[in-house]
Amino acid sequence: MRDLYQRLAVSPEANELEIKHAVARCQHSALRQDAESVFAVAERRDAYDTLHDTVSDIGRLRARLGLSHGAHWQGDVANDFSLPADHAISRHDELVDRVSHAVSLYNRWRRLRGPWLLIAVFASGAGIGLALGLALCMGLLPM
Amino acid sequence: MSIARFSPFELLLLKSRSQVDTATLLLLAWVLVHRQHVSEGQRRRRLAQVTAQFRHGHELAPVMSIAHSQDLQAIQLAAEVVRKECGKERCLSVIHQAITVATDDGELSLANHYILRFLADLLSVAPMTLNTLFKELTGTPLATPEDPSRDTYWQTHDPDYHARKAREAAAAEQQHQQANARAEQQQRQKEQRDAQKQQKQQEKQQRQEQARQAREQEQRRHQESERQRQREHTEREQQRSRRQNSHQQGSQERRNNDSRQQRTSPPPPDRTTRALSILGLTPGATRIEVRHAYRRMAQLHHPDRFYSESEHQVALASARFQRIKNAYDYLMQTY
Repeated sequence: MRDLYQRLAVSPEANELEIKHAVARCQHSALRQDAESVFAVAERRDAYDTLHDTVSDIGRLRARLGLSHGAHWQGDVANDFSLPADHAISRHDELVDRVSHAVSLYNRWRRLRGPWLLIAVFASGAGIGLALGLALCMGLLPM
Repeated sequence: MSIARFSPFELLLLKSRSQVDTATLLLLAWVLVHRQHVSEGQRRRRLAQVTAQFRHGHELAPVMSIAHSQDLQAIQLAAEVVRKECGKERCLSVIHQAITVATDDGELSLANHYILRFLADLLSVAPMTLNTLFKELTGTPLATPEDPSRDTYWQTHDPDYHARKAREAAAAEQQHQQANARAEQQQRQKEQRDAQKQQKQQEKQQRQEQARQAREQEQRRHQESERQRQREHTEREQQRSRRQNSHQQGSQERRNNDSRQQRTSPPPPDRTTRALSILGLTPGATRIEVRHAYRRMAQLHHPDRFYSESEHQVALASARFQRIKNAYDYLMQTY
C-alpha cells in the first residue's frame, strides 16, 4: 500500500482533472501505470480513498503512541504513512489532569459553600431591609 | 489547563467499572466497524457475544457510535489505557479477541490487516506470535495485505473492466492495421508512379547521352570546358542543398527545445506544506521557526544516536534524517 497522492504530489481532495494532469506529469512509468489504473474508475478511487484514510489514521496514531518503527510497520506503508512524532500530550495524562482539575473545583465549592451561603443570606436580608426602608421613607407604601 | 468538555468516550471511561474493559471494547468495535459485508445488528450482537465476560457495566451502543465516528482521539485514549493496564496474558487475549472478531468468515479486510498489526505493535506481540495465533484461530496463515495502489491488484479484482479494455484495445489495433494496409497500398501506387517516372527519366538521359556522343565526335575541345562548367554547377547545387538541410535541422532542434520547455512541469504546489509537516510545523511558520525545528529534529533523529542499537535502526534513522535535511534545504531555498 503506497500513498499515491504523496507520490504524485497532489492533495487527496484533488479533482479528477488535477489528478489526470499529475499522472501525465509523472516521470516514473510503473507508477504512472498504477496510478492510471487506480484513478481511472471512480469506484476504485473510492475504495482506495477509504483504505487511504484508515491507513493514514493508523499512521497518525502510531506517531502519537511512539509506534512508528514497530515490527509490523515495514515497507511501503511505513515509508509513505509515517508521520513525524508530534508533541501531542498523552491522552490519558490529559484525561487525568482534567479529572483532577474538576475534582479540585468541586472540592473548593464544597469547602466554601457554608461561609458563602451565610454571606448570601445576610446580603439578601440587608437588601430587602434597605428596599423596604426606602419605600417607607418615600411614602410609597400605604400605612 | 484545558477548558474543553469531556468527550463522550472520556465520560464513558470515567463511569465504567473497569477502564481496561471499556477501552478494549472500543478497540474491538473499531475492528468490527472495518469488517465488510456485515450488518449493524450483526456487529452489535458479535461485540456483545465476545465481550460477555467484561465487567464494564454500561451499554454497548455508545461505544459502537464512537467507533463509527472514527474518533481518533478516543481511539488513542483507548490504546493508551490498554497499553498501560494490560499484562502479557491480557495482551494475548485481546489480540485473540481482535482476530476472532475480524475473521469470523475467514475474510480479513484490508483495513483490518493494518489495524490488527497496529494492535499487535501496541500490545508488543511479536510477528511470529501473531502469525501462529492467526493460523490457530483461522486455519490460514496471515498473508501480507494486498496492495490496491498497484495495477496487478485491480487486474485480479476487477477482471471485467480489463477484459472490456482489452477488447477496446483489440478493436483499436484492428483499425490501426486497416489504416496501415491502406497506407501501404497508397505507398505501393506511389512507388509504381515513381518507377514510371524514373523510366521516363532514364530514356531522356539516354537520349541526352546519344546527343552528347554526337557532339563529342564533332567538338572534343569544347566538351572539356562544358564538363568543367557542369561540375561547378553541381557542386554549387550540392552546397546550397547542404545549407538548406542544416537550416532545417536547426529549426527542428529549436522546435524540440520549445516542446521540452513546455513539458517541464511547474513545481507541485503543496511541496512547501509537506516540507513543513516533515519538520512538524504548520504552514505559515517563519524562517527562524524552521531553523529551530530543524535543529531539534536533527538532534532527535541523527543516525549516530542509534549507533548502539541495531544496524537496521541506524539505516531507518539515516533515512529519516535525510528526509528532514531535504525538507530543510528546500525550505531554505524557497523562504
